[in-house]
Amino acid sequence: MVHVTRRELLKGVAALGAAAALPDPRPRSADAQTTQKRELVVAQGGDVSKFDPHFSTSSNDIRVSFNIFDNLVSRHPDGKLHPGLATEWKLTAPTTWTFKLRSGVKYHNGDAFTSADAKFSIERTYDPNSKTMVATALTTIDRIEAPDTVTLIIHTKKPDPLLPARLAFYGGQIVPSKHVQAVGNDAFNAKPVGTGPVRFVSWVKDDKLVLEANPDYWGGRVDMDRLVVRAIPETAPRIAALLKGEVDIITQLPPDQGERVAGNASTRVAGALYAGLYVLAVNSKRPPLDNPLVKQALSLAIDREAIVKELWRGRGVVPNGPIARGDNHYDAKLAPLAYNPGAARDLLKKAGYKNEEIFIETTVAYVSNDKQMAEAIQGMWKDVGINVNVEVIEYSVRAQKNREKSFKGVFWSDPTSTLGDPDGMMWRLLGPGGPQDYWRHPRWDELGNAARFSVDEKFRAEAYREMTTIFLEHFPWLPVIQPYEDYGLQKHVEWTPNPNQQFEIRRFNFKFKRA
Amino acid sequence: MSFSMRVVLGFLAPKLLRALVAVWLVTTVVFVVMRLSGDPVPLLLPPDAPTSEIMRVRRDLGLDRPLPVQYAVFAANILRGDFGRSIHFREPAFAVVRGYLSATVELGLTAFLLAALVAVPIGMFSAIRRNSLVDHAAMGLALIGQAAPTFFLGILFILVLSLKADLFPTGGRGDWTHLVLPALTLGAFAMASIARLTRSAVLDVLHADYIRTARAKGVAEWLVIAKHTLKNAALPIVTITGLQFGTLLGGAVVTETVFAWPGIGRLAIQSIYNRDYPVVQCAVFLSAIMFIVINFAIDAIYGLLDPRARPR
Repeated sequence: MVHVTRRELLKGVAALGAAAALPDPRPRSADAQTTQKRELVVAQGGDVSKFDPHFSTSSNDIRVSFNIFDNLVSRHPDGKLHPGLATEWKLTAPTTWTFKLRSGVKYHNGDAFTSADAKFSIERTYDPNSKTMVATALTTIDRIEAPDTVTLIIHTKKPDPLLPARLAFYGGQIVPSKHVQAVGNDAFNAKPVGTGPVRFVSWVKDDKLVLEANPDYWGGRVDMDRLVVRAIPETAPRIAALLKGEVDIITQLPPDQGERVAGNASTRVAGALYAGLYVLAVNSKRPPLDNPLVKQALSLAIDREAIVKELWRGRGVVPNGPIARGDNHYDAKLAPLAYNPGAARDLLKKAGYKNEEIFIETTVAYVSNDKQMAEAIQGMWKDVGINVNVEVIEYSVRAQKNREKSFKGVFWSDPTSTLGDPDGMMWRLLGPGGPQDYWRHPRWDELGNAARFSVDEKFRAEAYREMTTIFLEHFPWLPVIQPYEDYGLQKHVEWTPNPNQQFEIRRFNFKFKRA
Repeated sequence: MSFSMRVVLGFLAPKLLRALVAVWLVTTVVFVVMRLSGDPVPLLLPPDAPTSEIMRVRRDLGLDRPLPVQYAVFAANILRGDFGRSIHFREPAFAVVRGYLSATVELGLTAFLLAALVAVPIGMFSAIRRNSLVDHAAMGLALIGQAAPTFFLGILFILVLSLKADLFPTGGRGDWTHLVLPALTLGAFAMASIARLTRSAVLDVLHADYIRTARAKGVAEWLVIAKHTLKNAALPIVTITGLQFGTLLGGAVVTETVFAWPGIGRLAIQSIYNRDYPVVQCAVFLSAIMFIVINFAIDAIYGLLDPRARPR
C-alpha cells in the first residue's frame, strides 16, 4: 500500500559509500540534547499530493492527513484502538455499532463537530457522486443514523467485528460537512480544514508544507508552534539534513544507514515493527507454482535469518506465518519459518519438479531492499536446484500487473495490516476477488468468510489458527521478513512512531526535550 | 509591405513554421507514449481496489474513451490554452507546472551565469597562456567537471561543503545560500564544456592570418585580443552557451532531486512515474517552446555578430 514513497529516484549506492567513509561531522555539545525550538521539521521521501483525506491512500499523504484530521477511533503506537472523536463505542446488536462522540470539539475554522459531520464523512467515502479514492474502505456499512449531536449509530450489512478498526484507518478521517459542501471538493483539497492537532497554513509543492499547532486541540495542544514537512527524495541528502540539524525527524531510514544516525552525537534511530509483512506473493495458477510441494520447497530454501542479519542489519524478525506480530490472533508459540535446504531438495524431487523456470519479478526500492532480497533469494533457490530468473519491473508496471493479475511467478508485496487483524491483511489481499487472488482453497475460504462476519472472538481465533495451518501447506505468499520501519530523530525530539505508517504528531507520542 | 517587414518575415516565417511542427510532433509523441506506458488509476487507488472501482475512476478521468477521441479532446483543449487537470494533484495542470517555474528559472539562470561568467574568461586565459600552469590546471578541472556524474558531484558537495565545512544548507529552497551548491552542481558540466570550447575557439582564431597581420602592423596585444580575436571567436561560444542554457533550464532533474529543489525537471520525472499525463504534456510543451525561443535568440545574436548570417 505504500505508493510512490519508497521508490527512490536514484539509488545513491556510490555516494552512500562515500558518505560512510567520511568522518562524522564535528561533535555537538551536550546541550544539543535539549532545545528551545518551537518548530518541528519533518523530511519525508516524497511530497504530499492531496490534502483531502478521502482522495488519497498514499503514505506521503496520509502522514499529513492523519494530523490535520481526526478519526472517530485512533490507533496509537501501542497498536491498540483508543478514543478519537468518539469517546466510546460498543456493539449494540449483531449488525449495529453505537458510537458516543466527543462534544465541544471545533474544526480549525470554528465550526462545531457533531454527529452530522461523522455521518457525512463516512457516507462521502462511498457516495458515487463524490468520486473518492477510498470508496471500498467502509463498504461493510449499510446505513448510518445520527439521533442526536453526540450519537452515531452505524448499521452494517452483516456483523462486522472490525468496524472500529476500519474507522481508525484511511477513509475514516472526519471532514467538516458544512464547509466541504459550501466550498466544494477542489477548494477543500487546496485548503483543508479538520479537527486535528495541526492546521494548514501554506504549501509550495516539492518545497515545503507549513502547518501550525491547533491551540484548542481536544487532545491537548502539541508542544510546538509550527510543523514543517519537507520532501527530500534522495536518501543521502535526507540523512545529511538530519545530521546537520536542519530537520528534526526523517522518515524511511534504510537499515544500512542506521549506524550512521545512531553513531552521531546528536541523533538517534527510532523504529516500529512494521504492521505487516514483506512477502513474495505467488501466482499459484502458474505451473509449477500450482504444486504446494514446490512452494513448500521454495519457503524452506530461503535463509531468512541471513536476510535479516545481512541485508537488514538485524532490523526485522522472521515471520512464522501469514499473521504479523502485533496483530490480533498472532500465535507467538508458532516457530519462525524454517530454513532447510536438504528438505527443500527432497520436496522438489517428490513434487516431480522438472527444472521449470520460476520468475521473481522485483521492483527497485518499492519496498526497501526488494532487489537485494530478490537477488539473495535467487542465489538460495539456485543452491537447491531451482531454475530461477529475476526480472526487474518499474513501479507503475507492477501496479498494472497487480491490477491485471498478470504476474509471471512470485513478486514483492508488503501487505499492510490495515486493521491490526488478519482480516485486514491476508483475507483482504488473498481472499476471493482480492488483488492477490491466485489461489483458492474451499476450507480456507469458508473460514475466512466466517471469521470476517463473526463477532465471536473465540471463533475467530480458531478460524485463523486453522487458516494458518492451511496457509503453511500451500503458501499463497512466501513471507520473508517483518521489518522495522526506522526513522532518524534529533535527540531533542521525543517521539514514538506508529507501526502502520500512520505518522502521528500528538501529545501522547511527541514532545521536545526542554532544558 | 515594407522592405524590412519582408526581410523579417522571410527570415522568421520558415523558422516559425518549423518550430510549430516541432512542438506539434513533441506533444503528440508524448501524448501517445505516455498512454502506451501505463495507467495512472492503479496508482491512485488502494492496492485492494476491485476492478469495478478502477473502471469507475478511469471513466471519471475520461481514460476509457478511444485514444483518437482522447487525442482530439486534448488537441482542442491545448488550442484554447487548457492543458487539462492533473490526475495526481487534482488541480489544473498548467497551474501545477507554473508553480515550479520560478524555482527552475532561478536555479537555471544562476547556474548559467555562473558557468558563463567563470568559463569564458578562463577559457580565453587558457588559450592566451597556452601550456602554462594555469592552462593545465583549468583544463584538468574542466575535464573532471565534464566527467563527474551530477549525482556524485551533488552528494560530494553536500558532504564536504555542507555537512563537514558547514558553509551551506544541504538542500531545499530559501535564501541565496540554498542556491550555491545546486547551481555549482548544475553549472559544473556547462562550465567545463564552455571553458574547453572557448579555449579551442580562441586558439583557432589566434592562428588566423589576420591576427598575424594585426600583430605585424604593431597593434597592441590587448587590442589584438579584445578587438580581433574575441569578435571572431564569439560565434561558437555563443552557440554552445545558448544550447547549455536550454539544457540548464530543462535538464536539471538529478540536481533538483539531490538538493530537493522544487523544479520542473523533478516535477516532470515524478509525473511520468505517476502517469500524470496532463502535467507531463504541459511541462514538455513549455520546455519545447523554451528551446525554440532560445534557438531564435541564438540566431538573432548570430546575425548581430556575423554579417554573413544575416538574412539577405
